Amino acid sequence: MTAKSQDLLAGVTAPKVRTLLRVVILFFIAGAAVSSRLFSVIRFESIIHEFDPWFNFRATKYLVANGFYKFWDWFDDRTWHPLGRVTGGTLYPGLMVTSGAIYHALRALTIPVDIRNICVLLAPAFSGLTAYATYLLTNEMTTSPSAGLLAAIFMGIAPGYISRSVAGSYDNEAIAIFLLVFTFFLWIKALKLGSMLWGALCALFYGYMVASWGGYAFITCLLPMHALVLICMGRYSTRLYVSYTTWYALGTLASMQIPFVGFLPVKTSEHMPALGIFGFLQLIGFIQYVRSAISGRQFQTFLVTLLVATFGLGLAGLVGLTSLGYIAPWGGRFYSLWDTGYAKIHIPIIASVSEHQPTAWPSFFFDLNFLIWLFPAGVYLCFQNLRDEHVFIVVYAMFGSYFAGVMVRLMLTLTPVVCVAAAIAVSQILDTYLSVKVPIVDETAASSTDSAPKKAKGGLRATEKPNVGIFNNLSKVVVTGAMTIYLLMFVTHCTWVTSNAYSSPSVVLASRLPDGSQHIIDDYREAYQWLRQNTKEDAKIMSWWDYGYQIGGMADRPTLVDNNTWNNTHIATVGKAMSSREEVSYPIMRQHEVDYVLVVFGGLLGYSGDDINKFLWMVRIAEGIWPDEVKERDFFTARGEYKVDHDATETMKNSLMYKMSYYNYNTLFPSGQAVDRVRGVRMPDQGPVLDTVEEAFTSENWIIRIYKVKDLDNVGRDHGAAAAFARGQKKKKIQKKRGARVLRVD
Amino acid sequence: MRLFSSLFSLLLLTAGAAASKKSATDRFDEYHVKAQSASPVKLKDASYKSLTGAPRDYSVAVLLTALDSRFKCQLCTEFQPEWDLISKSWAKGDKSGDSRMIFSTLDFSDGRDVFLSLGLQTAPVLLLFQPTAGPNAVAVQEPLRFDFTSGPPTAEQIHAWVSRHLPGRPHPPVKRPINWMRWLSTVTIVLGLGTVLVTASPYILPIVQNRNIWASISLISILLFTSGHMFNHIRKVPYVAGDGRGGVSYVAPGFQSQFGLETQIVAALYGILSFCAISLAVKVPRIADSKTQQVAVIAWGGVLFLVYSFLLSVFRIKNGGYPFSLPPFM
Repeated sequence: MTAKSQDLLAGVTAPKVRTLLRVVILFFIAGAAVSSRLFSVIRFESIIHEFDPWFNFRATKYLVANGFYKFWDWFDDRTWHPLGRVTGGTLYPGLMVTSGAIYHALRALTIPVDIRNICVLLAPAFSGLTAYATYLLTNEMTTSPSAGLLAAIFMGIAPGYISRSVAGSYDNEAIAIFLLVFTFFLWIKALKLGSMLWGALCALFYGYMVASWGGYAFITCLLPMHALVLICMGRYSTRLYVSYTTWYALGTLASMQIPFVGFLPVKTSEHMPALGIFGFLQLIGFIQYVRSAISGRQFQTFLVTLLVATFGLGLAGLVGLTSLGYIAPWGGRFYSLWDTGYAKIHIPIIASVSEHQPTAWPSFFFDLNFLIWLFPAGVYLCFQNLRDEHVFIVVYAMFGSYFAGVMVRLMLTLTPVVCVAAAIAVSQILDTYLSVKVPIVDETAASSTDSAPKKAKGGLRATEKPNVGIFNNLSKVVVTGAMTIYLLMFVTHCTWVTSNAYSSPSVVLASRLPDGSQHIIDDYREAYQWLRQNTKEDAKIMSWWDYGYQIGGMADRPTLVDNNTWNNTHIATVGKAMSSREEVSYPIMRQHEVDYVLVVFGGLLGYSGDDINKFLWMVRIAEGIWPDEVKERDFFTARGEYKVDHDATETMKNSLMYKMSYYNYNTLFPSGQAVDRVRGVRMPDQGPVLDTVEEAFTSENWIIRIYKVKDLDNVGRDHGAAAAFARGQKKKKIQKKRGARVLRVD
Repeated sequence: MRLFSSLFSLLLLTAGAAASKKSATDRFDEYHVKAQSASPVKLKDASYKSLTGAPRDYSVAVLLTALDSRFKCQLCTEFQPEWDLISKSWAKGDKSGDSRMIFSTLDFSDGRDVFLSLGLQTAPVLLLFQPTAGPNAVAVQEPLRFDFTSGPPTAEQIHAWVSRHLPGRPHPPVKRPINWMRWLSTVTIVLGLGTVLVTASPYILPIVQNRNIWASISLISILLFTSGHMFNHIRKVPYVAGDGRGGVSYVAPGFQSQFGLETQIVAALYGILSFCAISLAVKVPRIADSKTQQVAVIAWGGVLFLVYSFLLSVFRIKNGGYPFSLPPFM
């Protein structure tokens, strides 16, 4: 719509007015981008969402309270009990430092603002900047005045990006996508101009990106890929040499300043393409220089020898260093992108995260709507001129769509290129059909004979003939009308998706009552608040790792494991405690000084993201470390089904997780009526019996259940016997049945 | 009573020992020599009993299998090379018999009685008999059973399982033989391809440098990836499924599932839509004739509208609550 007004005015107004219009439109786009992300703030309140943001929020508070240098050296003893975590050296500090800087800047301007509100609103604010960066990037690709603005609005409201940047989603991606797009813009600018200054700026923002998000590896691999493709196409130029070497040298130095990255850029395989292309460019540059000095025949022999020798040496060096252990082979997470079966076998903890799953086609359409079919059209249009920057779009499109297909989460890196390509396609269509001029037939016939042979070589077949324009007004009306409909539908689709799918804080759940009014389910905060008010300051909470950050952030209690899954063994320990019998779990919990155990149970409400549904991952991860003690097979019935009702296996029924989830659940219902609404099954009449833990708290809708780990028995009985005594059961004389005592030789 | 039962078991033990006639050490030496010449040791009913009879101061791994094609045991035949590999490399790496471990195989056609006495219904079954006497003896008499639930295991997996149960003893590593044939053929193919490329370069280069071909390659791969091909590849989804009434269901219900054919339909829809957009943007303005151009615009615009409407209707099958649609597929 913006493009329409733009073009109508193009003919009649002076350039200054057009610039002003552009600025105004960009401000409106930024406004639209920010406001479409505020659904959750309006509906619920200004609250941090999900899981990871809670850690980022906690870290930001620490940074604001203690200053940068303390933050840098922060050792956190309230997570990963009893190991602790070297937090300052194991996080990407970009996000926290950004909001800390904004906080101090606003304070300096005497604007009193709460750090929480900055954290909540950081992602929407940066989405406005992302839209502007996309505008700049698109303007480098095409001369059309409307393409950039279209790309900006697409980027501003595309659900693929909104999904990670609504208000309250205070995660690394909040600023990383802006940095990604802006780094790409600077790279294109540097490449076009061959300018060292732009190259250095690109490296600077690359460094900022490295400080913010692990996804920086995408840039680290894409830029060398672009350079390599350009070289293969015979497009080596001094511009490429200057921009690439500037970016690589400065960018690598910048990235090595982050403690978490450290020496990885020279030690791991995913950074090797960048280094390899750097070396390759030096070689080509050298050859170019020598070519000017030596005559043709000698040069050929020299060239071949040099190339072969360097290639052989480089390869041997790489293999040698890898086998000697100086260069790490592909990191697990990164490697699983290529060999898609790898994670499932070797790293269940990665496979267990839902955002690491492959993407089904509805997700693409859901996140990108009609951009998804304009995307190939836009890429095709890039082949028309195929200058260096268009090659970048093509390479980015191929890689981006592959990665987005393998991992749902990487839809985020695909979205910018989709917006750019789609905007190129839409602007081309609109520019053609919105032109008021009617072509004159004679002229075109004459020019067609002139220009046809010129364009025939090296171009696309579709563009061999000259562009004449549209004759009929009806054609113009039909096409622009249809495009307007599609654009309007896109806007409504984005609003609908954002409002319905991406604006739930997931800490607070909402449901509709029969009369249509909204009912807020606030069990999580209720439970965390209970922990905060009723437990000791240093009471250790054991839960599955998903809830670690929330407990740390909202309840402010030490946890055993959290979403920073750095120690697989420790997570497996928790998994083992959850999936074993009480007699096995109790010593584990005592050894880890656990005071309370927290489980999430959705059976009453029909909340499907609960621990029983995640239980198999706990079993699998525990089985990876203790294959003899925890076996996934034992949790399936003989027919291979995962059951929680009468048919559940003995191992399942005796596991601590099962017992804690269903403890006393049958008392809620009349006899024989107990139903698990998530699994949709009827539960046994007789609920499980707990000996070593006791129920401490259960939230309103039973979503969170907290159990206190019992202390050792006063008179030295084991907990089973003590609990049986308390229930009034007579002590059975089991001693008699055992027969002769045998010496056990284990 | 207790005295009697223990006496009885003692009797049984001595009887068993007498039946095997030789002491445990002798038996181990005998089978160890056999294993040195051909491992895994082929067992029959009698030799199975003597090898696994108590007391023994060595460990035995027995694979109970059914290789005969009559039994149609696919898992058995798939696992057999791996089993041969681990037993050979174990025998080779442990010539002196320090690990006191024998690998053996009992085929159903040689040992029907053993299968019957163990009450086995399925094959393959891998049993590990732990020593009952000597320094490595364990308390549990029952042999350990390997779990074949997740497909044929590799030799390395078996090796890890066996080593876990033989602590404190040498575990000769699995040595996969170098596949010379494969290396040779790879080198030949690479050299051959290189030669062909060099000689045919005058013909190939124009194709490689053709912009149209690269454009179509990139468009096709983008369409493949954005229509969920990688999901099919990773999750190994079925191509189509029946709808339960004898018909074929093309679209999988649910947002997070899809069929192979479904993704191809979607890729085709995307392809048509993109092609229409490209035609409208690039081809139509280049038609020099006013009438033809008018027809082309109406045609491409109409197809675009119809197909997009259809795509929305397909999407509404996947996501029931989706409110938007275009005529005629409302």
